[in-house]
Amino acid sequence: MSNDKISAEVKKLAGELLESGKVSAVVGYAEGTLKGRVQTFIARKASETEKFIFNQNCANNLAVYLTKSYNIISAGKPVAVFLKPCDIKSVTALIQEHQLKREDIFIIGLSCQGVLNDSGPAGKCRACSMHNPQYYDALIGGVVEEKEPEVTDPFARVKEIESMTTSECWEFWMKEFDKCVRCYACRQACPLCYCEQCIVDKTRPRWIESSAHPIGNLGWHLIRAFHLAGRCIGCGECERVCHQNIPLSLLNMKMSKEIFDLYGYTAGMDEGAKPPLTEFKMEDNEEFIR
Amino acid sequence: MARIGVFVCHCGENIGRTVDCAAVAKRAALLRDVVYAVDYKYMCSDPGQNMIKDAIKEHNLSGVVVASCSPLMHEKTFRRTVTEAGMNPFLCEIANIREHCSWVHEDKPVATEKALDLIRVMVEKVKRDIPLDPIRIPVTKKALVIGGGIAGIQAALDIAEGGKEVILVEKSPSIGGHMAQLSETFPTLDCSQCILTPKMVSANTHKNIKLYTYSEIEKVSGYIGNFNVTIRKKARYIDETLCTGCGICQEKCPQKKIPSEFNEGLGMRKAIYVPFPQAVPNKPVIDREHCTKFINGKCGLCEKICGRKAVRFDQTDSFVNEEVGAIVVATGYDLYTIDKKTDETLKGYGEYGYGKYPDVVSGLQFERLVSASGPTYGELKRPSDGKVPETIVFIQCVGSRDEAKGVSYCSKICCMYTAKHTMLYKHKVHNGQAFVFYMDIRAGGKNYDEFVRRAIEEDGAVYLRGRVSKISEENGKLIVKGADTLSGAQVEISADMVVLATAISAQPDIVPLAQKLGVGYDQYHFLSEAHPKLRPVETNSAGIFLAGACQAPKDIPEAVAQASAAASKVLGLFSSLELEREPYVAKVNESTCVDCEFCLTACPYNAIERKEIKNRKGEVIKVVSHVNEGKCQGCGTCVSICRSKSIDLAGFTDEQVYSQINALFV
Amino acid sequence: MDENFEPKIAAFVCTWCTYTGADLAGTSRLKYEPNVRVLRLPCTGRIDFSLVIKAFENGADGVLISGCHPNDCHYNAGNFHARRRFAVFRKLLEFTGIDPNRVQFSWVSAAEGAKWRDVVNAVTDEIRKLGPFTEYQKLIGDSFPFQHEASETEQNSEKEQVENVK
Repeated sequence: MSNDKISAEVKKLAGELLESGKVSAVVGYAEGTLKGRVQTFIARKASETEKFIFNQNCANNLAVYLTKSYNIISAGKPVAVFLKPCDIKSVTALIQEHQLKREDIFIIGLSCQGVLNDSGPAGKCRACSMHNPQYYDALIGGVVEEKEPEVTDPFARVKEIESMTTSECWEFWMKEFDKCVRCYACRQACPLCYCEQCIVDKTRPRWIESSAHPIGNLGWHLIRAFHLAGRCIGCGECERVCHQNIPLSLLNMKMSKEIFDLYGYTAGMDEGAKPPLTEFKMEDNEEFIR
Repeated sequence: MARIGVFVCHCGENIGRTVDCAAVAKRAALLRDVVYAVDYKYMCSDPGQNMIKDAIKEHNLSGVVVASCSPLMHEKTFRRTVTEAGMNPFLCEIANIREHCSWVHEDKPVATEKALDLIRVMVEKVKRDIPLDPIRIPVTKKALVIGGGIAGIQAALDIAEGGKEVILVEKSPSIGGHMAQLSETFPTLDCSQCILTPKMVSANTHKNIKLYTYSEIEKVSGYIGNFNVTIRKKARYIDETLCTGCGICQEKCPQKKIPSEFNEGLGMRKAIYVPFPQAVPNKPVIDREHCTKFINGKCGLCEKICGRKAVRFDQTDSFVNEEVGAIVVATGYDLYTIDKKTDETLKGYGEYGYGKYPDVVSGLQFERLVSASGPTYGELKRPSDGKVPETIVFIQCVGSRDEAKGVSYCSKICCMYTAKHTMLYKHKVHNGQAFVFYMDIRAGGKNYDEFVRRAIEEDGAVYLRGRVSKISEENGKLIVKGADTLSGAQVEISADMVVLATAISAQPDIVPLAQKLGVGYDQYHFLSEAHPKLRPVETNSAGIFLAGACQAPKDIPEAVAQASAAASKVLGLFSSLELEREPYVAKVNESTCVDCEFCLTACPYNAIERKEIKNRKGEVIKVVSHVNEGKCQGCGTCVSICRSKSIDLAGFTDEQVYSQINALFV
Repeated sequence: MDENFEPKIAAFVCTWCTYTGADLAGTSRLKYEPNVRVLRLPCTGRIDFSLVIKAFENGADGVLISGCHPNDCHYNAGNFHARRRFAVFRKLLEFTGIDPNRVQFSWVSAAEGAKWRDVVNAVTDEIRKLGPFTEYQKLIGDSFPFQHEASETEQNSEKEQVENVK
């Protein structure tokens, strides 16, 4: 299906949803101010739905707007939201973590052939094996054929780092973290960073130095990665929005890989599952313990 | 502004020898917010405590650090001291410069530096201490006693006599334990059953005692004063309310070749059975494994013959919940397995031929052979051919004090019961000759050594100091080869029977129970007391007490004494209306909690609940986690799980731990 | 490497098992390396991974976490949660170039005074071999005035005053 045709479909569906009063708002994508960029657009009237589009530039994970701080969801009526298959995993995780109720949203599921970043297909899309939404209330773009991913090992980049020596790893990351200006775009774009007050903003005590000092940068990135361990669904928004191009999703993927290897758990697949770091098994690995 | 006082204790020489306490106090005085620091020989003594009290008043202290022994030792003492000076007890902290410093290091300058570090860290903590009030919790004035041997019975009776209700749980079909199996008891040779059975009957009939036999502890939750216990009543396949204990079922049961546990395998029992004639309660159980009805559905004779129609083949295990305020563990002991290697640590004594030669028996088996209620009705006949043994060799320390094959500890009672055995033997077989191989004779106790002397001098037992290397069989005789180390001679005795004084070991299934109770145990699985000298009856889990051989090998008087001690501890606990508990509980910061409910999932006590915050119109505006203070035990697992640091633990707050880390290294 | 390097090790231990076990080492007069500074917490469940980061930020060369053996936790399950947390956290440290051997974990029961001694000695030895954690300490550098919010100034003032006393 062509981009135009899909865009036409989303406009039509969004219009109908608002017209009928079935939803209070529709969260979707609209053309951005720069060519090839899109922006989030929230329509509250049927007349505004003309602006909606969907194409391969629509990388943003709109699930982030469903968290409580955005206050878009109000009691009574659901909000409709455009979600790609990987974005739906965020919704699953948000439901699992009691941040969202399924009945409060109307999922406009979008089958997805991958999104683009500045240099071509996004890394996550090249290893993607889920092109159709897991669940939805309406499906746009029909069911597409699942195909073998171009990159068969999603952890290939992680393994590259793992193969380096300890001091090489340290140098690699210190160089990356040194670029960090602590704008917290990574946090703002992450649907699972929904804390009302982030640990980095707590001052009694101040766990992480908040200026862009190397010690604070290391602390922040370690804590960010660990707070998402077993929770990150791999949408890669943190890395996409980082204007300093720090490969943040590598840290998240490393955590996902370890959580899967140790506890056989993949985040964002089951809203009823217990998060892996809130439970335990008697026979959990303890090779590292004296 | 904090005003901290630091009090450095020399503990006589214990700290002073390796830590320069005077220098430590001088330097501690220079720490920020420390307004007073002093060292003294014995801080815990009256003058020492008075120094603290005076300094609190004189220097208007806002917090106190006592640098002394472990907080597990004297934290309570010093917290009481500061309370007497009008300070909140939780504004007093201990820097452990004895167990963690002076006793483990030898270099004085190094130990002195470390002592100062430890003090600095605690000063940082105490500055951030906030006054806390102990949490008051109600006490359920009902006790649970686990194990119906002599210790359990005694504890239950004492508590019941003290006017409090007791639940007595016994895993086998009857109470009585090992004591019911004994023939006579040392050092008086009075009949074991004669002194035990009246107690068994009282335990069964006492209005304050509820007896669950053939039952086990399934689950224990809660804490001191408020335990919730689930008891599994194993199916007896008998309706106990209907059964009169007439015994006709047992008489008619055609399965009669089952080795009797009570007779240590030397006699037989039926598939439906009462373990012994004086059993309490006198109600049979069906041994499902051996009952024909359960094996192939064919028999059912007992069901047909029972006049009361009390047999219930369809009975299943049932569960009872009981709320209790205290628990006494009196699960007793087992005997070391002689014949085979049971695990890596126990190699066994194959050379003694236990299990191979029927006339090599254990101490408990010998008790049954000389007991009036035993398989031979008290006539001593050897198991192989029923012959009266003319020579018996007794071997002590089989398993005990033998790290190579058994356990390192002394089983304590074997010296005494072996002496008793030789006497019982001599009294029954006048021309019999007893030989005893021993390592040492340990007969400490009232009238104990006199008892052993009697065995040797009056009843003619020959004591040989040495070990037995091998036992073999020749023409119906057991050839015992050993050494007499006193004469230096090799000894060979042709005996009719051999009795092995096997080591006492812990109950084989004690570990899962200990884990359910949260009670510690040692490498041999004996349960751990809270303090080996000063708190021998308590465990480290408040409200749980020990009685009898579950803690260590004990004889009857010791087991009874400890049972009564445990009972008095329980009654003491029950004499207070409320208990005070340390207020180390978690608290949620509702303004930043985002209701991810990770803490709720992780809490080991289900102490965290969802709480809805409503506006004036009654609309829910926010859901947050809420800690139930009654259930919270203060582990702090929730604190680590919380990403937004919206939950904190009183006494160990984030701010305290953070500032302590900041002060760790100079 | 400095031959005389003595590592600074922060130990976070639970009250019920390891702290009591360390007490037992003391009552048994067992001797061990003086490099470890113990912070007592109720349970390993309370030991947040950020405490480890904080210890490194304060100049620790190594961290030891120790608690009750599986099934022996005074709080039933705190140690199981800690086990998962640090199993994963170590992987993150390793990935970012921090030798995971700088963060050690042990089970030491209240009865294991001798094990505590052995653990402290072995950990001290291992950290000593790894050398000072200069990478992390370089990050702290001189440009970081905030690290010891309260105690840094205390230390300075203390040292000055100690001089005076002497």
